[in-house]
Amino acid sequence: MEQPIDIADCLQRWKKGNEDAAEELIRHLYPVISKIVHVHLPRRDHEEDLVQEILMKTFSRIHQYKGDAPLSHWVSRLALTTCLDRLRAQKIRPEIRWADLSPEDQDVFDASWLGGSSPDASQAIQARDLVDKILSTLSPADRSLILMIDLEGQSMEEISNTTGWGVSKIKMRLFRIRTRLRKTIQNLNERI
Amino acid sequence: MNMNEDKQWQSLLSHSATAFTGDAVPPYGFMASTLARLKEKKNQQEQLEKIGIRAFLISIGALVIVAAITMDLHFQNRSDLEPGVRSLIQVENVQLS
Repeated sequence: MEQPIDIADCLQRWKKGNEDAAEELIRHLYPVISKIVHVHLPRRDHEEDLVQEILMKTFSRIHQYKGDAPLSHWVSRLALTTCLDRLRAQKIRPEIRWADLSPEDQDVFDASWLGGSSPDASQAIQARDLVDKILSTLSPADRSLILMIDLEGQSMEEISNTTGWGVSKIKMRLFRIRTRLRKTIQNLNERI
Repeated sequence: MNMNEDKQWQSLLSHSATAFTGDAVPPYGFMASTLARLKEKKNQQEQLEKIGIRAFLISIGALVIVAAITMDLHFQNRSDLEPGVRSLIQVENVQLS
């Protein structure tokens, strides 16, 4: 387990050009950034590049950090914004049909219907691919929102802090997203 | 109907949950490369600052030289009159200030 670090002291030392302080900060921030990038980036091939890009942004904009919130919150927001910008560059599919799924995706979809035992690593990756396909019908912001709620179990207040949206806006978006997801899953169940 | 689809979505997510977990520890070599990039960026910034200061000093120097040459030419031209004009001045006994 990583030892807690004195963020203010690290920042102070980093600003004076101390590279050990930079390394301590990177070690502290890496898991936070890595988790966000892993969840919010559908194509995982450039994941490490994106983590590095966010770290570079963090260090180049560190003077903008006022210290009124924890550094990890400030970095989470920066990471999420970067991921959303990257996702926006990718095309949103209007809808997904049964014929768009590979045989493996179709098996996972049918298995999910049955529920059952905990999957092994390869089944989890296959399930993630299917989840990514279903989520590709949503806008980047909606995709991130549903993952923060359903996968990470974040509260409305936490999401509000990270995204800057009001709670009522989050609830409205969530309602729209759930309706859309239900429609997609219903179509897949009916083999449309 | 809605409940079933919600349960199915939650089941799919729970099946894929482990594939969504990010790394907790930076990979080997990552730190070195990131620090190297940070250092390189800092060096580049310092180099740019040095180049900027040098360019500024050089342009100031060039300006001073040009101003000196201009002033010199200006004063030279004042006493360097055409021979006809000079003789006219002598005839009329005009005072040159």
